[in-house]
Amino acid sequence: METIKNYLEAMFAGMPDTPEVRKARAELLQMMEDKYNELIAEGQSENTAVGTVISEFGNLEDLAEDLGLTKEVQEFHDIEAANPRRQINRDEAAAFITNRIKKSLFLALGIMLCITSVACPIITAERGSSVVVVGPAVMFIFIALGVGFIVYSGFVDGEWKFIRKQLCFIDMNTASYVKERRRSFEGVRAICVTLGVILCIVCWVPNIFFAQTEEVTTGPAVMFLLVGIGVFLIVYANNTSKGFDILLRLNDVKTISGNYNEPVTPAVKYRSKTAETIVQVYWPFVTSLYLIVSFLTFRWGVTWIIWPIAAVAHRAVVINCRSYDD
Amino acid sequence: MIEISSDVIRGYNDTMILYILEKEPSYGYEISKQIKNISDGKYLIKETTLYSAFTRMEKNGHIESFTSDQDPEGNGKKRTYYRITDSGKEYYRTKCDEWGLTKEVVERFIEH
Repeated sequence: METIKNYLEAMFAGMPDTPEVRKARAELLQMMEDKYNELIAEGQSENTAVGTVISEFGNLEDLAEDLGLTKEVQEFHDIEAANPRRQINRDEAAAFITNRIKKSLFLALGIMLCITSVACPIITAERGSSVVVVGPAVMFIFIALGVGFIVYSGFVDGEWKFIRKQLCFIDMNTASYVKERRRSFEGVRAICVTLGVILCIVCWVPNIFFAQTEEVTTGPAVMFLLVGIGVFLIVYANNTSKGFDILLRLNDVKTISGNYNEPVTPAVKYRSKTAETIVQVYWPFVTSLYLIVSFLTFRWGVTWIIWPIAAVAHRAVVINCRSYDD
Repeated sequence: MIEISSDVIRGYNDTMILYILEKEPSYGYEISKQIKNISDGKYLIKETTLYSAFTRMEKNGHIESFTSDQDPEGNGKKRTYYRITDSGKEYYRTKCDEWGLTKEVVERFIEH
């Protein structure tokens, strides 16, 4: 029965997604299913039954005419002929996912290094002038490595760039495979994101703890380490998970074989172009501010306070810049 | 084995379907099975042809569709049933007369 469904799916792939076409597909499937069940009941093997049903099905050109869709079907064929769609098969989908995981790991690692880099100058800040310059130096090594990883993560999926540029499609089998992979990743993702958020929240705890001791600067340093790990987990999980959605969204929504993905929440809208720019430059601005202030004052043990303040302020900025109409 | 050319029979698919629906309302697969049985398996109507005929005749008001979960086997599955309308009955009679004439004319050119 699965073969019949796939066959029908493929036949309807080029049809526009209208109520008439949906109804036609449902009715035809019902007829094929009835016939299939009867053939099986008569004692035919599954393969013979599927063969008979498909060979007696007919062709969709006649049907298109009666549904008044000749023009649409023709247009679709023309578009197909002009830009042939590339099919992503199951193996390719599997390779894409493996690649996506690798990309996410590099990206997450890169971001983590950039965040934790800040811990280096904090640790060395109040330990005498001989080591005080080592911290910032190590910080830049961390940043360099981190940025390197981030840039590299952009190249990891180089061979898959065509997915964004060319029209591609996946069939139902591949779609269910990808959905299966997404489902099994859902558990990992839940753990990663939860743990990540928890780490970001408890990052304050070492601060409170170390504040009572001699090691005042250890608190902020550990805080950045915790935030770094937390962000690593969140970025890795979300970025990998986005890979599944990219595959499932490949098909054109307007055709009936459409989008295998559930509808997603619409993209965030901003009040104005300026508001959008503000949100986009927010974190780069905060980073610059932090580095400038820290270098000017050389009080790395205190300047970290910019980060938690910026995080809270970020929420306010986003809420004010977003548009919540419709 | 000689098969019926679909070009020739196209004009009479409607007639066959209406003949069956005149007896009682029915659904897709059941109708195709009856066509096969009545023709002693000499004519198999394709699913797409059948569905095309349904949509066309429904648009023209010859048949009406309704959803029913009464199943002959009683397994309570929702199906689209079709029933003939008065205009359909009239159309059926016209087609029968038309076939009488067609048969008579073509027959004169056939050597046995």
